[in-house]
Amino acid sequence: MTAPPPSLAEVELRDVRRALASSGLLLDVGAARLHVRGDSQALARQLGAVYRCFPWQPGGGEAADVHVVLHQARGLRRWWRPQVVLRIDGAYPFEPFPADSPLPLLEWGCNWLIGRRLNDLLLLHAGAVERDGAALLLPAMPGSGKSTLTAALSLRGWRLLSDEFGAVDPTTGLVQPLLKPVALKNASIEVIRGLSREAVIGPAFPKTRKGTVAHLAPDARAVAARGIGARPVAVVLPRWERGSPTRWEPVSPSQAFSALAFNAFNYNLLGEVGFRTALRLARRCTAWRLVYSDLDDALAQLDRVWPGLVAGAVHGPQA
Amino acid sequence: MTPGAAYDPQAALACATALQRPEGVLGWSSAQWSLQLRLARRTRLLGRLAHALHAQGLVDRLPALPRRHLLSELRASHWRTTALRWGLDRVGRVLADAAYPRVLLKGAAYQGQGLPIAGGRLPSDIDILVPRAALGDALGRLGAAGWTEPDLDEHDRRYYHEWSHEVPPLRHPSVRMELDLHHNIQPPLSRHPVDAGLLLARLQPSLWPGWQVLHPLDQILHCASHLFHDGDLHDRLRDLVDLDGMLRCFVVPQADWPALLDRARQLGLAESLALGLLLCARWLATPVPPPVLDQACAAGLPAWRRACLLPLLRAVLLPGDPDEGDAWTRRVAGQLLLARYQWQRLPLRLLLPHLWRKLGQRSADGPA
Repeated sequence: MTAPPPSLAEVELRDVRRALASSGLLLDVGAARLHVRGDSQALARQLGAVYRCFPWQPGGGEAADVHVVLHQARGLRRWWRPQVVLRIDGAYPFEPFPADSPLPLLEWGCNWLIGRRLNDLLLLHAGAVERDGAALLLPAMPGSGKSTLTAALSLRGWRLLSDEFGAVDPTTGLVQPLLKPVALKNASIEVIRGLSREAVIGPAFPKTRKGTVAHLAPDARAVAARGIGARPVAVVLPRWERGSPTRWEPVSPSQAFSALAFNAFNYNLLGEVGFRTALRLARRCTAWRLVYSDLDDALAQLDRVWPGLVAGAVHGPQA
Repeated sequence: MTPGAAYDPQAALACATALQRPEGVLGWSSAQWSLQLRLARRTRLLGRLAHALHAQGLVDRLPALPRRHLLSELRASHWRTTALRWGLDRVGRVLADAAYPRVLLKGAAYQGQGLPIAGGRLPSDIDILVPRAALGDALGRLGAAGWTEPDLDEHDRRYYHEWSHEVPPLRHPSVRMELDLHHNIQPPLSRHPVDAGLLLARLQPSLWPGWQVLHPLDQILHCASHLFHDGDLHDRLRDLVDLDGMLRCFVVPQADWPALLDRARQLGLAESLALGLLLCARWLATPVPPPVLDQACAAGLPAWRRACLLPLLRAVLLPGDPDEGDAWTRRVAGQLLLARYQWQRLPLRLLLPHLWRKLGQRSADGPA
């Protein structure tokens, strides 16, 4: 038996940089494989920080779903306010980013490609975590704090599946991991840092379109299990409300269906397959709206109710 | 492709060949699949390939990577072709009792005839044609039904309405695609204007009630002239594959080549046809008899012009190495073809002020 490959954190930065500049790195994030190359100076360091637990797989372009190259902008932009650009199969579909911010461009570009190309899966716009073999989906509403809650759960014993994509396989009904660093915005960054000393958060990028962004690195356990899907049992629509006590409001299957389907990346595109998959989810999952201001209290309540929910014994925190 | 081997631009043709002989893909290595998926996405042939392989029941026999991406693209194509059909149904109702012909163009026409080249397309807009005299009526009806023109300044409005063969793209809040309403297949002031009356005199029924299509030979000539009179020819292999598909469908069975050459002369599109036939024969093994190629070139493509254009077209129509950016030669070729497009589209007295204006707008908008 051969030894497992080292993780990115265990490899010399120099080697990461060299691989990125030549045959590239393969990032297996579960339901997708990303092939990344680039000569951007900061890329190796930033990527190494937030994909630290992922295995070191240089080369490997043949197996990838998505190929991206991040390189320094040429011409005047090499010296004057230098920029980094993203090339996808020879084309440049996005505006450049400042040269010191290759990671947000990589994440944004890869998420965009995943959202367009993986139509073998129903891609809900939702955070997803697993515990006791069952998955909890957190569909995104603008300003809902989906990423904060997903990140917090992942630091409290839940396995992170994804903070952006609830990737449901229409044939099995399982939620498949699309395990990428969790993009935290603004105040969330400090909230998550304060929640656990084990939180590994990459560099902060101020002045992006969404304000300051920093990425929480998925932990070793989540990375090791990124090939394993989970049966979805619950949907929580989070809403952070200043000063509110933790409140659970039951959500009907039809409301859950709307929250899942109409926020999805490719629900329309999948047609009948999308409808059936979303319908099955809405029928099988228990759904609530969670209004909270105290994150710790919300997490504790969710922990308490989960075992009964997985066993099918209860239908909600107040049941 | 083995690592380190030089990239061959002809690699993109393997996908076009696979449309003719799908079982050939069973022998592709994982490296070949990886490259072909990337190239086919760029040339917009991935959906066509997915459709061809699916129709032969071959998709399930492929490795996981191509299987997933072919299935994904097949779904995307199904969605877009359904959206096109639905959008046309809406437009059809608006124009139902109009007294003039309504004509499907391009992808809509291929779909509306059930042509083999319609399978697995990814239509991005709806193209239709009405007689120029009926434009006002059609626009009035569409406007009343909620279709709106984009906000354009005086110059751009004039550009479309006086110098173009289509009106500005129309949008409707409940239709996902833009509607391109044409009155001709070539700009009226271009160096190769087409008499739309000749097109309207030979319309054919489509499978969809209320909609007609151009005569098959005119569809071929429209496809060729649309490709070779466009400003951006990068990765446009799909248009050639369409041309190949229509030649095989409409011309090859009856060996109707003289009629095609005649019609090209009549419409003033001999150069486009010659270019199309040459490239189809060379790249896609379209069975064009050599004497026909000679006649087509004699009618519209002098040797010197062929010698100038073919290397440029080769550099631009076929995608470059997906692992690299464009070579400078490809960028220059693209610029030269763009200059040719501008030159052909408008007479100089209109072109120069137009470009001056666009240049001014670009510098006012700042660098892209």
